[in-house]
Amino acid sequence: MTSGISRRTLLVNGALVGGATFFGPWRRHHVYAQKTDKPILIGLTHDASGQFANSGQDEQRGTIMALEEANARGGVLGRKLAYIAADTETTPATGSRVAERMITRNEVAFLVGAIQSGVANAIGQVAQKYGCVYFNTNSSSPTESGKDCKRVKFVWDGSGANFALAAADNAVRTFGKRWQLLTNDYVWGHNTSKATREIASRFGAQIIDEILVPVGTRDFSPILLKVQQAKPDVVAAAVGGDDFKVMRQEVVKLGLDQKPAWLNNQQDWPDIYGLGIESVFGVFGTTWYHKLPLPGVADLGRRYRQRWPETRIDVPGNVFYNGYMAMWELVRAIERAGSTNNIKVIKALEGHKMPARDRLQHHEAWIDPETHHVQQTVYLAARNDKPADPTDYFKILSWAEPTKVRDPESAKTCKLQSYESTPTYEQ
Amino acid sequence: MRIGALARGMMGWLSPAMLVAFALFGTLPLWIEAVGLYRYLGIEILIWCIFALGFNLLLGYTGLPSFGHGAYFGIGAYALGLTQFHLAASLWVGLLAATLAAAVMGGGVALFISHRRGIYFALMTIAFGQMFFFIASKWTSVTGGEDGLLDIRRLPAHVGFAAFDLTGNLAMSYFTFATFAVVTVLLWRLVHSPFGKVLRAIKQNETRMAYLGYRVFAYKWASFTLSCAVAGLAGGLFAMAQHGAYVQVMNLQWSGVVVLMTLVGGGLVSFWGPVVGTVLYFVARDLLGMYTESWLLWFGLMFMLVVMFKPEGVAGIWQAAAARAGARRRARAVALQPAGGK
Amino acid sequence: MDLLITLGPHLLNGVALGLLFALVALGFMLIIGVMEVINLAHGSLFALGAYVAVALVTPEGGLRLAALATYFAFPLPARFVVALVVAPIVVGGVGMVLEVCLRRTYGRDPLYGLLLTFGAALVLEELIRLVWGPTERFLPVPAAITGGITLGGLVYSVYRFFASAFAVGMIVLLWLFLQRTRYGALIKAGAHDSEMVRALGVNLTRLRLLVFALGTALAAVAGIVMAPIWGVRPHVGVDAVVPAFVVIVLGGVGSFWGAVIAGLLVGMVVGITGAFATAWSLVSMYVLLILVVTVRGRGLLGKKSVLER
Repeated sequence: MTSGISRRTLLVNGALVGGATFFGPWRRHHVYAQKTDKPILIGLTHDASGQFANSGQDEQRGTIMALEEANARGGVLGRKLAYIAADTETTPATGSRVAERMITRNEVAFLVGAIQSGVANAIGQVAQKYGCVYFNTNSSSPTESGKDCKRVKFVWDGSGANFALAAADNAVRTFGKRWQLLTNDYVWGHNTSKATREIASRFGAQIIDEILVPVGTRDFSPILLKVQQAKPDVVAAAVGGDDFKVMRQEVVKLGLDQKPAWLNNQQDWPDIYGLGIESVFGVFGTTWYHKLPLPGVADLGRRYRQRWPETRIDVPGNVFYNGYMAMWELVRAIERAGSTNNIKVIKALEGHKMPARDRLQHHEAWIDPETHHVQQTVYLAARNDKPADPTDYFKILSWAEPTKVRDPESAKTCKLQSYESTPTYEQ
Repeated sequence: MRIGALARGMMGWLSPAMLVAFALFGTLPLWIEAVGLYRYLGIEILIWCIFALGFNLLLGYTGLPSFGHGAYFGIGAYALGLTQFHLAASLWVGLLAATLAAAVMGGGVALFISHRRGIYFALMTIAFGQMFFFIASKWTSVTGGEDGLLDIRRLPAHVGFAAFDLTGNLAMSYFTFATFAVVTVLLWRLVHSPFGKVLRAIKQNETRMAYLGYRVFAYKWASFTLSCAVAGLAGGLFAMAQHGAYVQVMNLQWSGVVVLMTLVGGGLVSFWGPVVGTVLYFVARDLLGMYTESWLLWFGLMFMLVVMFKPEGVAGIWQAAAARAGARRRARAVALQPAGGK
Repeated sequence: MDLLITLGPHLLNGVALGLLFALVALGFMLIIGVMEVINLAHGSLFALGAYVAVALVTPEGGLRLAALATYFAFPLPARFVVALVVAPIVVGGVGMVLEVCLRRTYGRDPLYGLLLTFGAALVLEELIRLVWGPTERFLPVPAAITGGITLGGLVYSVYRFFASAFAVGMIVLLWLFLQRTRYGALIKAGAHDSEMVRALGVNLTRLRLLVFALGTALAAVAGIVMAPIWGVRPHVGVDAVVPAFVVIVLGGVGSFWGAVIAGLLVGMVVGITGAFATAWSLVSMYVLLILVVTVRGRGLLGKKSVLER
């Protein structure tokens, strides 16, 4: 009921905040007295429809909130920030078109937003062509900071490899050596399972089987029967999107979530919130949780509720968090660079260290200059048996330092374009 | 004398409406930004116009509804990319491969479905379209699966004496327009040839054509295959425009979109229907899409109204209005004549 | 023996799956068989049914009226049954509106009916998104029919057995309705000879309205029953309309038992490939369809119909 309304409000806000630069279709240029009067326009490339619509809207809330907070503090370099949003439809071809539109028509300074790796790639390619800096906020495919890395693209979510590195050692010791892999039959699934296979084997696990789950699977009964027949100690699942939601529902209903042990990929907050604590299953990684016992975390939750009173997701989650943090770091990078020039901003971001206090995480994070992947604290979590309140879905089991979970593979496959071959871009 | 013959000969290839369309689309890059749109959108519009014009050979002229044509568009896109990566880094080879690959696949499918008609035909095209879609999304090593085939380049257009760099959107606009112009002229010629007349007769009454001794199967096969070839060419251009080939364009919804564009524009009554529909769809989507995220709701409603009240689409409305205006003119002419005149 | 132990559970599961596919296809079959309209909005109506059910079962489902507090105090099984009755009626009403729109396409190329419902599918899905938002919803199931049951060392879903049994019930009921009641006889007659029906003094317009309402209500029933298995999200309809369409073409347009047999066949094929060649389980139904239809042009039990014109 409410999210529809909130989405509309959000667009209207977009038109108002971005009003100075977005006049509707029939006029093109607005004359500013000085370049510094022109707001820094951020293009939000979030999914509003398709498989990842829900997560797309959540990260959008995060990015908008950070942007508004920055404006409340006077903007950056004496300029205000503004945004325009367009639906990328969880479709790469649409992502391409939206990126072209925002860069050539709306003259955005930066692009922010992605959930699905295909869309992130498509936007990344266009952004690289023009030199526009692009933040992939929530697509966690290892290829994003591996073979598909780009000089202009920065990746903010933890990757499947990070989570596998955080979990494998412990899982082999606690649950056993016979592992079965459930792999969503697309690029993200394959890459994540490949990472899990390598890392788990290193810690002594024996991979007895890998089941390829087609994208769009709505009935997991044959697969779950097969899992039961194989009797593994651990099922490591790299199943995403709607397929994961369907699988989760079935596994939990059957009570199969206790035996065998399930090792899942990141459970995105918008996908799980509202379904009840009992819908959480297995052990999984995440980059953030709204009940971390750290200064500033509870305050972010309060501000979130104030700003977004209508959304059904009552507390901020990892997807919102990535969108929020990325936007703030963009503002800080512009500040450090003293300019919105793309190369200057890129250099201000590369290798940049972000204090744990700012990140609201346990450890300092940094932006890997070789892969443009944010190396951050990775948390392991499971269902909370003693929730403090109805939003307290997760029990945080442990957290790993960024250096411990850094994926060495992506650095080998990532070849960033040179600065010289990246066109200069400044708005 | 000679000039008259030439003009008559030319008329088989050209028409006044075509010249207007060429003048509009040929100058598109010059004014599209002035009306608040952007060049890249112009490229996509032209590509989808090519796709829809080819599709209308099947839907509008032969009366065969295909709900799986996105598949051939996608095959063309992949073929262009794969040729570029593994066979030859040449624009012409790539576009030829895109056209041929879609034609071969389409021709194969047409063998299975050309003896069918109406809704059964539509159902089978959906089944084959879905098959191609699933194969493309599964065959990750070749197509890149859900991530798509990336880093496709816009190779230069060599034309003997010179080579044009297409990396910029301006050059790409002109190149796409040139392709559009060639395809338009060829299709126009085709639908006004004896072959096109047979297709239209089949649309009216397939059984009668069979009794008259026409090999209906072969005509339907050819129509399907040709429209697939055009779809493949458009797909190849799309891969160039996007620098990538993505599987989503092959799914049921995108296949439905081309039907929608063709019909809303009035493909059933006019050669230009698909072009009108494509422009309308893209402009509506781009403008409404920036204001409301539920733009498909409005477009869907508009589509329903068109099907209910004016299935001949925009072109149909235009023709009706033109006919009324013509009738009024004639009526005035009659009124001016002295009484007793006919 | 070993093979049987390995294969047995999957065969059983395949049958259950097949019955569910048949259930999903039921409303689609009725409308295409009687009215010769391919209702592409079937999936969106299926989704709408699930959403209305969520609204009737959970207080967070969208009905936030204070007056309803007493209603939501009813036990879950009662609310579930209310949803199973009321949601199909609501969706049947939407179906009636759609039928009124469709009237303008009667007597024209059947293609127009298909196009109109394609547009309706877009509109309905967007409306669902506007009203309920893009968030995944959850339809709670009474405790009696949830959980797992252990048979031969393997856990099966109780709800799945319930849903399959429910599917059998719906199939039998619909068949009895068509065979044993006056309306059923009229519907069947209307499918083949509208002149005769008119000669009998029956209002054909009203009959068509009724059939469409019934067909869309069946879509809603399927949506509710499948919700605990497939989940509830705005685009869940695509998951329903595509298999429904495969089942109907495979079984043969206009054949009741053809659709049921085709549903079972698709279920078995998807179930078995799901176990032994999982990556191919989704493609398998299209391969099956193309194989069968290449050999038997009108599907398993199809009859000649105006759709071939």
